[in-house]
Amino acid sequence: MNILDRELKPWLHGVISVLLSFCVLWAMITFPELHHTFVDGVNNILYYPEKPAIEMRDIVKYSSNWVLERSSLRERVTKLELENRAMSAELQKAGIKVPVPKEGNVTAKITLRYPDDWWQEFRIDKGSRAGIKEGAAVTSEGFLIGRVIRVDQNYAWVQMITSSSFLIAAAVDETRDLGVITGDDRGNLTLLYVPEERQLKNGMGVSTSLMGRHVPPGIPIGRVIGAKESKDGFMPISIQAGAHLTQLYSVEVYSGGDN
Amino acid sequence: MIYLIAVWLLQDFVQVFLMGFFIVPNIFLMLLLMMSLLPATSREKQIILIWAAFAGGLIWDFRWTNLPGLTAALNAGLVAAACFLWYKIPAQGRTVVFFTFILIASILFSGFAHFVLWTVPSQVALRQFFVQQLLGVPLVIVFSLIYWKVSDKNV
Repeated sequence: MNILDRELKPWLHGVISVLLSFCVLWAMITFPELHHTFVDGVNNILYYPEKPAIEMRDIVKYSSNWVLERSSLRERVTKLELENRAMSAELQKAGIKVPVPKEGNVTAKITLRYPDDWWQEFRIDKGSRAGIKEGAAVTSEGFLIGRVIRVDQNYAWVQMITSSSFLIAAAVDETRDLGVITGDDRGNLTLLYVPEERQLKNGMGVSTSLMGRHVPPGIPIGRVIGAKESKDGFMPISIQAGAHLTQLYSVEVYSGGDN
Repeated sequence: MIYLIAVWLLQDFVQVFLMGFFIVPNIFLMLLLMMSLLPATSREKQIILIWAAFAGGLIWDFRWTNLPGLTAALNAGLVAAACFLWYKIPAQGRTVVFFTFILIASILFSGFAHFVLWTVPSQVALRQFFVQQLLGVPLVIVFSLIYWKVSDKNV
């Protein structure tokens, strides 16, 4: 009778549920793969109920930014067209045939970005069905912002360049100095392994170097904003990301590199 | 239970719509507190509501937070604590004002716990916390009014 009475006490159920919650928390921290499975499962279930909200948000955002984006994109297109024309002319002069590009970009929307993993990863609404592959470069406004780390049929996870576990070969555009870009989980970027005698100036551009088949060389990353204290003959260089990493809504994923 | 599912989905819908701008107040927890503290709610139903709070919180964690179990523990713990406190005070004290006090305290505690466990301390997080609490004010008023109307009918 006493046990039955206790079973009807709400506080007892409250204590049990809190303890169970902590067990779940412990299990998810200990087994990250299990955590990812549950997260992806819940996100798959909620994909359709949330779709109208995602569409509505995009309509509001794009309509408010339409004028600004349009003028900035037109400027960029004009600049790129001029550059392209000049390069084509140079290639023609040199007698080099220009191959027809086979690769393209897949535009994807960001559907999840954890506050506590803000500078580490986010999820996008396109997956292998849309041609996204593991390791593919992810850009925003033409600048590299990360790389695909996990792919499912309908979604993929992107590791951001600001993540401390992100490493990518990069080159300084003006001097062709090579290094490795990494993040610090706090939104800052550093170019490592640049010899300390190199005189890099603020404002110099940094872009990807030949890294792998899914990350083409020459994708802009950001600009040099200063040097840190030298260590072991190398000078870490602070880099400012070119993309607005705090205002990411949609991204482009490089879908080339099959061959 | 349909109300709970509907409100959970509504909260999720609003959060998706406002993602990147601010964090939506915990409407699901407010509804759970209201339902569990209504005069007509039996202890059996309160227990069901505690486990509903746990389940809803856990799914929310898998969708929105990186600490699965945190919202579940907060929701279930706060509903259970509210029920415990509600029955510890004399029946004359179980008024709309006291319900509103419990609602505000629970929402503040839940929001603050999430803010503290936000691993990257920043002004953005602090701003998000304040905006979330400010947005919760009209909801607290609405839930208090609903509680007042519904509990009046039950008396």
